[in-house]
Amino acid sequence: MAMVEGRANTRISEYLLDSPIESRFSEEKYILFLQGITAVFDGFKALDIEALGIEHNELRVIIGPNGAGKTTMCDIISGKTRPTTGSVYFEGQNITETAETEIALLGIGRKFQTPTVFDSLTTYQNMELALPGHQNWFANLYSKISPEENNQILSILERVGLKNELHTEAKYLSHGQRQWLAISTLVLSNPKLLLVDEPAAGLTDAETALTAELLLELKGEHTLIIIEHDMDFVRQLDSPVTMLHEGKIMAEGTLADLQQNEEVIEAYLGR
Amino acid sequence: MTANKTFPLLALCLFFCLTQLLADSAEVGSAAVEEIQQILLKLGDKKSSIRKTAIMGLAKYDHPGLEALMNAFKLRQLYVWNDNVVILCPKIEGKTAALQDPLTQEPITDVSGKQFQVTVTELKQIRPGRPERGLAENVKSLFKLFSPDEETQLSGIKRCGEAKTIKGLGKLTDLALEKLDDLATGNQSKKIQRLALESALLIRISRISLDAGSTHLKLVTQLGHTKSQRSQKFLEKSLAQLEKSSALTPQIQRTYQAAIAKIRTYQQFISLLGNLFRGLSLGSVLILMALGLAITFGLMGVINMAHGELMMIGAYTTYVVQLVFAHTPETPNNWYFIFALPASFLMSATIGLLIEFFVVRHLYKRPLESLLATWGVGLILIQMIRLRFGDNIGVNAPSWGRGGIEVIQDLVFPYGRCFIIAICAFSVGAMYYLMRCTKVGLMMRATMQNREMASSLGVNTGFVDRCTFAFGSGIAGIAGYAWTLIGGVTPDMGQTNFIVDSFLVVVTGGVGEIIGVICAGLGIGGLTKTLEPMTGTIWAKILLLIAVVIFIQFKPSGLFAAKGRLADD
Amino acid sequence: MHSLANTADDQLRRNLPLILWVLLGLVVIPVLYIAGVISIGTVNKLGRYLSFALVAIGLDLIWGYAGILGLCQALFFCLGGYAMGMYLAHHGGPEGIIDKTGWKLPACLFVVYPYKVGEVPGDAMVPWFWKPFWSLPNTIFLGLLIPGIFAFIIGYFGFRSRVRGVYFAILTQAITVAAQNFFTMNNMKFGGTNGLTRFAHICIARHPHGADVCQQSALSFDLSTDTVQFTLYLLTTMAIFVTYLLYCYITQTRLGRILVAVRDAENTLRFSGYKPYVYKLFAFILAAVTAGLGGLLYVPQMKIITPYNMGAERSILIVIFVAVGGRGTLSGALVGTLAVNLLYDFLTSFNQPIPLTNMLFPGGLTFAKAWPIVLGLLFLAVVLGYPNGLVKLPQHLLGKFKKAPDSDQIGAHQ
Repeated sequence: MAMVEGRANTRISEYLLDSPIESRFSEEKYILFLQGITAVFDGFKALDIEALGIEHNELRVIIGPNGAGKTTMCDIISGKTRPTTGSVYFEGQNITETAETEIALLGIGRKFQTPTVFDSLTTYQNMELALPGHQNWFANLYSKISPEENNQILSILERVGLKNELHTEAKYLSHGQRQWLAISTLVLSNPKLLLVDEPAAGLTDAETALTAELLLELKGEHTLIIIEHDMDFVRQLDSPVTMLHEGKIMAEGTLADLQQNEEVIEAYLGR
Repeated sequence: MTANKTFPLLALCLFFCLTQLLADSAEVGSAAVEEIQQILLKLGDKKSSIRKTAIMGLAKYDHPGLEALMNAFKLRQLYVWNDNVVILCPKIEGKTAALQDPLTQEPITDVSGKQFQVTVTELKQIRPGRPERGLAENVKSLFKLFSPDEETQLSGIKRCGEAKTIKGLGKLTDLALEKLDDLATGNQSKKIQRLALESALLIRISRISLDAGSTHLKLVTQLGHTKSQRSQKFLEKSLAQLEKSSALTPQIQRTYQAAIAKIRTYQQFISLLGNLFRGLSLGSVLILMALGLAITFGLMGVINMAHGELMMIGAYTTYVVQLVFAHTPETPNNWYFIFALPASFLMSATIGLLIEFFVVRHLYKRPLESLLATWGVGLILIQMIRLRFGDNIGVNAPSWGRGGIEVIQDLVFPYGRCFIIAICAFSVGAMYYLMRCTKVGLMMRATMQNREMASSLGVNTGFVDRCTFAFGSGIAGIAGYAWTLIGGVTPDMGQTNFIVDSFLVVVTGGVGEIIGVICAGLGIGGLTKTLEPMTGTIWAKILLLIAVVIFIQFKPSGLFAAKGRLADD
Repeated sequence: MHSLANTADDQLRRNLPLILWVLLGLVVIPVLYIAGVISIGTVNKLGRYLSFALVAIGLDLIWGYAGILGLCQALFFCLGGYAMGMYLAHHGGPEGIIDKTGWKLPACLFVVYPYKVGEVPGDAMVPWFWKPFWSLPNTIFLGLLIPGIFAFIIGYFGFRSRVRGVYFAILTQAITVAAQNFFTMNNMKFGGTNGLTRFAHICIARHPHGADVCQQSALSFDLSTDTVQFTLYLLTTMAIFVTYLLYCYITQTRLGRILVAVRDAENTLRFSGYKPYVYKLFAFILAAVTAGLGGLLYVPQMKIITPYNMGAERSILIVIFVAVGGRGTLSGALVGTLAVNLLYDFLTSFNQPIPLTNMLFPGGLTFAKAWPIVLGLLFLAVVLGYPNGLVKLPQHLLGKFKKAPDSDQIGAHQ
């Protein structure tokens, strides 16, 4: 596979550069770059990544057992948590200290592990709030959404089968439907980089397949980081995988590669 | 007596010594008493100068009854009976008068033990004129110097150093000085020595004019060493007078100013320490209040706005126990205070339990609604207590609660506040022990971190909640109990004074952490009491609030916040 | 647009409360008054309750929609009230007492008025901050602006540092208590505990400071007359309708939905590129200005304003108005305010002790004494018993409960 060969020469060590980081890894190659990131909570090191780069328009899957630091990594990229040390670069810009709102406006979208939607709003209203370009508070007092935007919303909802629930408040949706809605809002918001935390959790096999299909469709024009437990789902994505263990990057490669790796097997099965 | 049976010989020796001693003192005393009686007769003389000499004559005796005698003299209660003996007769009703001994104030009795009664005509009243009364007043402070009661003695020593007394005593100041020097060097308590020295210095400095040059200045410096406020006032006044006259040289001014500055620095230091101590005790009450609030908030996600009312209930329970024990300032019954401690704890804990059962239980993890509902509970409790007991009740501190320890010169720690700090330390200790070292505490912490998990592991979370809530409420009751020692008790005391402040403690300290509550409680208490003398109560409150808001800007989740996954909510 | 799917039926249902209110407030009550069925006292009372309703509507926006429980609405109300109070005090009290700079001294600045009419006092001066409140337009402008500025400061520092939920509630309560203490201080020149009173006229004509034209001018209105009080009632009612319309509009825009989103999941909103604090600030300031308007209208009808009105318990009272009426429905704020106040009126009109209460309390309880207890029970009832409020009650009772698109259930979220 072409992608796999690409991975072979992007081992971690290659990123350890001594000159000023901004100039060396250019925006041309990596859309996102984590350098020397550690996150320490009450003396416990939840995350310790020397370097990790995500290329433009690639789809990267992050796997790892519970407590490996996957969600913490997402939190740090999206600005929810500040790292103890290290920096995050997005399109060459240091966003380590940037507020989460600004990060979102720069083009990093996120779906949380537990699907967070606005319970008291209807499906349609949830989608409406996700539309890009409507974040100015004053304009929200008078602006209306355009027919194109409306069509866009309806088409996405149709794909995920939520069209019949257009005016249902989100709190009355089932878990699967909420999961869909969260993914739909993320897709609609059209970010450059999508952080997708466990999109397949609690979905049926058919739904999982559809999710994979949806995400793969985005791959060409968007960069995606997908955190997942479900190996079937990962297999469907057929993309390079990075494995985190106890806060550190343990292995990188295709899923097949990793499944051969003694270390990885041990980490998953336990000692 | 068993002692007599066991050690007859020893007891006999002791008895012998005692009687000998008593006889000696009685002998000396009776001789002095006769002399005094002679001088007393002169008090009734027609000539003012003789009367004055008589008073001065009395001054050299140190009979303990003389002070009261001087009082009686001023109040015209002394009479000459049959021209040969002076007696005391405080009240004359009708034509006969009952007699009392002028020195001991005891009734004079005849052989049968009945009080001696004489007809009014046999008595001649001693009427002091204005100058003698003034003199008597001043001499009184001399007599106080040897009073067995330390309070009286201290006031006498202080009075001797006052400019008015010094002037009034005239020639007797030598005598006063002699006695004060004795006290200052003698085998007395430190406080008496200090005050006696100061008064002696004040007498000396008032007698030595500036012309004496260095001697005067030496005394000024010595006054500076006393570090007392009285010396400071004296020095400031003298300096102000000197500044008006031409006698002021730079050197004199410098000496004076150095002495004043020395006292001022010390007094400022003392008042800062005093404020900090008051802050510490206020902080202790806040900690007691905030402990319950913080733990129930951490455990159940509820805010109990009736927590202030539970404190009020504790204070009112103390009041009721006081009524039961019939304790008043006049007839103290200090046992009430010991019984009031468990009573207030149990009362508040019971009411807390009821609140938990009927209200809070249904509002887990809904802090805003629990805030409103418990506010309603608070309103009901306040109004019930107000209607039942009225707005103003007085809890009288037990008699040992008055007064305090003088830690260093002029720095007094009142016993009441010391007790509050001790109670707080004890309660925090108990809480800590309960949470860290007992099984209930373990269950409590487990429930706090993950309710579902704890529940599935067999922890009866409902029981844990109830225990915690009741315990927190009981501690608020103890806060109310302790507060009766230093503050007023009203039905709305919790709502107006404590709930907001203790919540600020919780906010600043971080939820669910005892150490945070302690630090924040002491910080807020200390800051309040340090600011109050500078800015007044209201500005202190406003400034404190601003400080907390600024603090929150930097540490939104308090001093000791949970991090990582726990911090999500 | 397809998505919004507002049928004519929906429109009617949404606007029905408004139409009913217009009818009741602007037609029924005036007709009853003119026909002599209700007295001017009753109309005046309704007017005062309606000015509370303005505060309640504001609170409903921030609490019912955006989920911010602000306990300083009474403070904003009083800031407006004191503005109007200062204006009225300028034009009331003993006439013709002029200070050195030519300003008329308001009577309520002194516990005992120390000067005779016409006497020029020595060092007593009109405080500088009283001076802008000489003219009515200035007063109205400042009465709305000052609460807004205060709300901005509180909200900016509070929301930006993410003070939320109970923390914000307690913080604002602390601010209210501090402000109350501040206004109570005599040397702050706000009339101390006695507040501002001795009002006489609303004078629209422009006139120089000091010279008092109130009694002669045709544009001067005596507060004690029925006509003026009736007009004030009408003004308050109209202010309510304008506010109600404005709030209805806002809650139906995207901004209104973002406010609801703030209540549901503020953090999630951030990751969609919104700054929740801006939206919260907007709602908070709007509510404060509305409360200030309530204060401006309340004072000429009540003819006194004291620091008691900005106590913590007053703020909580506004919360109970909203909760009783139905949180998250704008008409609920109105219904709740009127219901609680009329209940108070009704209960306190009994002078007899409540039966059986003499067992616990010496002499028994009248409803006036027991009112705080009733209020407390009301709190419990609203939170524990029936969180939907009065507005939803008819729907419940008729058994045709439908999910209304513009309203939300209380209790599902904190």
